[in-house]
Amino acid sequence: MKRYDMIIVGAGPAGLSAAIESAKRGMHVIVYDENAKPGGQLFKQIHKFFGSKEHKAKIRGFRIGDELLAEASALGVEVVLNAIVIGLFSEKEVTVKIDEHVEHVKGDTVLIATGASENMVTFPGWTLPGVIGAGAAQTMMNLHGTLPGKRVLMLGSGNVGLVVSFQLMQAGCEVVALADAAPRIGGYGVHASKVSRCGVPFYLSHTIVSADGDDHVTGVTIAEVDKNWQIIKGTEKHFDVDTICLAVGLSPMSKLCDMAGCQMEDNPSKADFVPTVNKYGETSISGIYAAGDVSGIEEASSAMIEGRIAGIAAAAKLGFITEEECNIEIEKQESALEGLRQGMFAPGMRGKIITETDEGVEVSQNLLKKGFVTEEEIERFPGVTHSEGIHPVIECTQNIPCNPCQDACSKHCIKIGSNITALPAVNPEAKCTGCGMCVASCSGQAIFLVNEDCGDGTAEITLPYEFLALPQKGDKGIALNRNGQKICEAEVVNVRTAKAFDHTNLLTMKVPKEFALNARFFKKEA
Amino acid sequence: MNDRNRNIGEYIPADDDNIIVCRCEEITKGEIRRAVHDGMFTLTEIRRYLRTGMGLCQGQTCTKLVKSIVAKELGIRPSDLEPATGRAPMRPIEMYILAQDGEDMK
Repeated sequence: MKRYDMIIVGAGPAGLSAAIESAKRGMHVIVYDENAKPGGQLFKQIHKFFGSKEHKAKIRGFRIGDELLAEASALGVEVVLNAIVIGLFSEKEVTVKIDEHVEHVKGDTVLIATGASENMVTFPGWTLPGVIGAGAAQTMMNLHGTLPGKRVLMLGSGNVGLVVSFQLMQAGCEVVALADAAPRIGGYGVHASKVSRCGVPFYLSHTIVSADGDDHVTGVTIAEVDKNWQIIKGTEKHFDVDTICLAVGLSPMSKLCDMAGCQMEDNPSKADFVPTVNKYGETSISGIYAAGDVSGIEEASSAMIEGRIAGIAAAAKLGFITEEECNIEIEKQESALEGLRQGMFAPGMRGKIITETDEGVEVSQNLLKKGFVTEEEIERFPGVTHSEGIHPVIECTQNIPCNPCQDACSKHCIKIGSNITALPAVNPEAKCTGCGMCVASCSGQAIFLVNEDCGDGTAEITLPYEFLALPQKGDKGIALNRNGQKICEAEVVNVRTAKAFDHTNLLTMKVPKEFALNARFFKKEA
Repeated sequence: MNDRNRNIGEYIPADDDNIIVCRCEEITKGEIRRAVHDGMFTLTEIRRYLRTGMGLCQGQTCTKLVKSIVAKELGIRPSDLEPATGRAPMRPIEMYILAQDGEDMK
């Protein structure tokens, strides 16, 4: 029977990160993944990630996947695809189905990094073709280049629902509405805002009543729910759609841990049935580790750090590094993980109602209920200032662990400070040159360059633009406000594309100056 | 929870009883609710009685749904229900492949 220093189940962000750390320290590592392509969910993620520079913020997810794979293969890590792990037995014996055989291998350590699967909800018609998970929609669009449908209703306002809604529009679908049974939007406000400014209406406290259609979805009815999640009669709304996307949460795929005999816990703050792990990610069975979504649903960025920690800890366990080295390395990783677990969306904050930011600024209620910050509300945030000439307007209103904008500005216009979750503030003393690096660096697409008064009765707004076809200089169209409503005519005066912007185009539009504080998106008139 | 004498009341038909919950084995919500009233109080029993979660996807879609239906019928929280045992094979596998397992070790 083949033996490895470490057997890793799952070649996603956690598994690959662990493989890199353990192989780097001399371990003989093998990674099994049941899919035809490695990377877990990373290769579906075409958006820029949040976080800090050290942890791959503002890099698009699929590029992070490429980087991890390249690093792992340079270190000699063997990644076996279409390899389905079917069992984990005593003495860390793993059975894996490859082609038409079941192979038995043994690991001195085993890491379970199997990720999560999508939750579903039931309603009449939920088994009709056209009702799909949001992750499935992403797979179709971003891996296979296939549109899931033409007109889509999204259920679920967490980050998955928000991000996938935006990607559906980028792919050319129409998102007719975004509904969620919860009374408040669950994901990042900046993600909601970029969906909202494209004109997608949000229906909070709404759920799906039924899907119509005989052999595929032709429509959907949603209705408002009361405090007890019961449908309120008479509030039904109907939409003609061919696709219903469900983004109603994820469940850890932790069955392998359970069958191996690891101690399990039903932990609502980790979103379900997960193995109990210590700070090294080690389960109750010595030498079996769990990292990433399988041990508690979080973001890919935390999964990568958890994977690294498990890889380092396993190296220490097998004597590839000393206990001392291990502790130093892990301490570094832990402080990074701690940083990511701060702010309003930290795992410990689930279900809590937040009324103020860390800075003491009242949060935007409209953002939580409608998906956009109102004109009155936006003024109270430190990223929004008024001055003569071009200056950045940062519509980042929640404490989230992200800070690339601070480093993007070489003129030091933007300050977040050492606390990664602090709201970005604009320094009115510093001189903005209009380079646009901050606009392109913001993973939430929440930074605009505004010249409120060009002197001729117009204002210029530079906004991040990630749609095709890219408008051209001289194009005339309409400016949309934060709610996606048409507010005035607009003319494109500049479109900038640069390698450093990484596919975030900078579109500058001219509008009458009274709309300078409202115009936040451009739509070309058909 | 395993008190079989506990009175959970009568099975009352509901409008959405005909909704399919386990798609692989085509088990409806009503069948799951009735199974609870037939005395199946644990997820393992439900699984053996109805085959929920025993099909192609191995419960990836319905596990959580079944859990919440059973919990509601018993009047307890879903987290109070012990999950059904996890065992190999973790994924569906063709019988002829499984049957060959260990041949090379003889």
